[in-house]
Amino acid sequence: MYRYDALDREFLTDRSNEFRHQVARRLSGELTEDQFKPLRLMNGLYLQLHAYMLRVAVPYGSLNARQVRRLAWIARTYDKGYGHMTTRQNIQFHWIKLRDVPDILDALAEVDLHAMQTSGNCIRNVTADPYAGATAEEVDDPRVWSEAIRQWSTLHPEFSYLPRKFKFAVTAAKTDRAAVKVHDVGLILHRAPDGALGFEVIVGGGQGRTPYVGPTIKQHLPASRLMSYLEAVLRVYNRHGRRDNIYKARIKILVAALGAEEFARQVEAEWAQIDSPSADLPDTELARIRAAFTPMAFETLPARSETFELAKGVSSSLARFARNNVKPHKQPGYAIVEVSLKAIGQTPGDATADQMDLIADLAERYSLDDVRVTHAQNLVLPHVKLDDLPAVHAALAQAGLATANIDLASDIIACPGLDYCALANARAIPIAQDIAAKFADPDHAERVGELKIKISGCINACGHHHVGHIGILGVDKKGEEFYQLSLGGSGAEDASLGKILGPALPADKVADAIDTLVEAYLKVRDGDERFLDTYRRVGLEPFKEAVYAHADQA
Amino acid sequence: MKALTANRLSDGDVVFWNAGQWVERFGDAQLFDDDQAEAAEAALAAGKAQPLAAVDVYLIDVAPVEGGLAPVSYRERIRALGPTNEPTHGKQAEGGAVVEALRHASGAARSTGRVDLIRRK
Repeated sequence: MYRYDALDREFLTDRSNEFRHQVARRLSGELTEDQFKPLRLMNGLYLQLHAYMLRVAVPYGSLNARQVRRLAWIARTYDKGYGHMTTRQNIQFHWIKLRDVPDILDALAEVDLHAMQTSGNCIRNVTADPYAGATAEEVDDPRVWSEAIRQWSTLHPEFSYLPRKFKFAVTAAKTDRAAVKVHDVGLILHRAPDGALGFEVIVGGGQGRTPYVGPTIKQHLPASRLMSYLEAVLRVYNRHGRRDNIYKARIKILVAALGAEEFARQVEAEWAQIDSPSADLPDTELARIRAAFTPMAFETLPARSETFELAKGVSSSLARFARNNVKPHKQPGYAIVEVSLKAIGQTPGDATADQMDLIADLAERYSLDDVRVTHAQNLVLPHVKLDDLPAVHAALAQAGLATANIDLASDIIACPGLDYCALANARAIPIAQDIAAKFADPDHAERVGELKIKISGCINACGHHHVGHIGILGVDKKGEEFYQLSLGGSGAEDASLGKILGPALPADKVADAIDTLVEAYLKVRDGDERFLDTYRRVGLEPFKEAVYAHADQA
Repeated sequence: MKALTANRLSDGDVVFWNAGQWVERFGDAQLFDDDQAEAAEAALAAGKAQPLAAVDVYLIDVAPVEGGLAPVSYRERIRALGPTNEPTHGKQAEGGAVVEALRHASGAARSTGRVDLIRRK
C-alpha cells in the first residue's frame, strides 16, 4: 500500500495540531459554533443525535493490520467498542466526545490515517474497487490513480470550497464494485485497442434527492492527462455549479441542465486552456506512487489446493463460505476472501474492536498485511492462500465473521438512519435486521441468489436505495416511520435507478413485503435468473400486485 | 407541554433544561405547560445564551403516555433513550420507569394495524 514519507507525516501532524488549537478555541469560547462548524466538518467531525461522530478516511478502502488495530484501539478507548463501515469505504465512530478528538487525530496520524475531507464541500475520500491488486479482471491498479487523485485533491486551494461535496470512484475492472456510474466523477481504467492506458470518464452521476446514472463525457482519456482533465471538470463545475440552492448544487444537476454534450464541450474548452505540463502528474511522481503498489510477494503455487478441496468436502459450512464469500484471485493458489459484517441480527457494517483485532491478525498472518473495506459495508482479506482458507474460515467463524452471504438477500446495505443520524427521517438498521431474519436459513438465501437490498433513512441516500435491486427509503409520515420500496436499481456495471413500487409501508410491514416480493420472483424466475434480471424481464406489475393486492382485500 | 433540549458542547451528549441548568435525563427535564409559552421561550433564550455549555438548543413537544411522559416525535424519543439497535448504549442503559415509559411510547407510536394505508394506486 502507499507508504507515507516524512513530508506526508509532517503534514498530518501539522493538521492535527491545527485542529487541536481550533477545538481549544471553541471550548474556550474564542470561536462560536457557527465559526467552528465548518472547521470540524473539514476534519470529518459531525454532531449527531447522541454524540459527535468522527468519520475516518480509508483511502480507496485500503488498510494495513497496524491501522486496523489502531482503529480497534480507538473504538475501545474513545467509543463504545465498535466502528461502523460506510458506503464510501470509510469507518465512522458514533460516540465521540469533542474534547477527545485532538488525541484521536494524533493516534490516527501515528498510523498514517486522518479524517480530512470526509465531510464538507470538497473532494471527498476517493473510493475504488476493493479487489484492486488482487483481481485478474483489472487492466491496471486503480489504487495508484486513486492515490494520485487523493494527493492532488487534499487541501487543493481551488477546490476546497466547491458548490457542494464531490465524490470520485475508480475501477479498472469490467465488474463494477465501486459504483462508478453513480458518483460525481466515475473513472473506468481500460486499454485502447492499441494497448494505451486510458480512462472512460463518467460525470454527473449521483444519488440523493435527484438520482442520475452518470453519462460518459469522454470515452478514452489518455491516462497521463488525467489530472489536467479533472482540473478542467472541477473548474467548469466550480464556475457554474449552483451555489444558490443546496438541492441543486451537485455537479449532476449542472450536467443534466447543460446536457452531457455541452458539459463535455465546456470541459474540453477549459482543458485546452490549462498548461498541461504543470497540471498533469509528472512521470516521476506517478512512478513514485506506483512503486508503493508493487506486486505482492506471491508464492508460486498450484491453482488447486488439495488441503482446501479436502476441507470443503468434509465441512458444509466451509463449502458454503467458499461458494459465496471466496472470489478468484489473479495469482494461482490464492483467493480473495470477503468478510461479511452482516451476520443475521447484526447492525450492517458494524465491527467490534475485538473483531477488528482479529481481522488485523488474519491480515498479517494470511493476507500479506492487507485489508479492504467495501462500499457494501463488508471487509475483504484480498490475498489469502487457498491452503489457508480452512484456517481463516475457522478463525472468522469463531468471531462471528463467517456469515456466507455476500450479495445475498441478508447482505443488506443500511445507513445508520434515525438511530444515530441527525438528518434521518426513519430508522434503517431495525428494518435491515427484520429483513435479514427472513433469510436466516442459508439454504433459502442461496436459493434466492444474488439480491442486493439497500436501505436509506432519508432522501440523501447514504444507504444507496436508488441502486438497490430492492431499494428501501425511510420517510416520515406525520411523525411515523414509513418505507417506500423501489425495484430494479443497480449500482454495478449494469447501473440503473429503481422504480417506486407503490405507497409507502409502515415499519412492521416491510420485511413481510420483501418476503412477498421474493416469493413473487421465485414464481416467475427463469432458471437461475437473478432477481434484478427477472424484474427487468417482467416489469413492476407482478411485484406490485403481489405486495398490494392483499391489502385491498383487508 | 414542552421541554427544552440541546447537545452538550464538550461531548455531544443529549441534555435537557431544568431551571437554568442542563441535565442529562429526560425524566429530570423541566416541563412547560401549554399556558407557560412565555416561560418556555425565556428558557430557550437562556439556553442559547450559554454557547459554551450546549449547542443546537430547541423546544420539543411532550405528551403523556402510559406510565409517564414522552416526547411526541420519534426522533426525540430516540434522543432521550439512545439507539434502538443497541439497547445498552446511551441513556436507556440506566433503565427505570422513565425509560420504560419512553420505550412504551415508541411502541405506541409505531404504525400497527393500519393495513388500510396500503392500497394499490
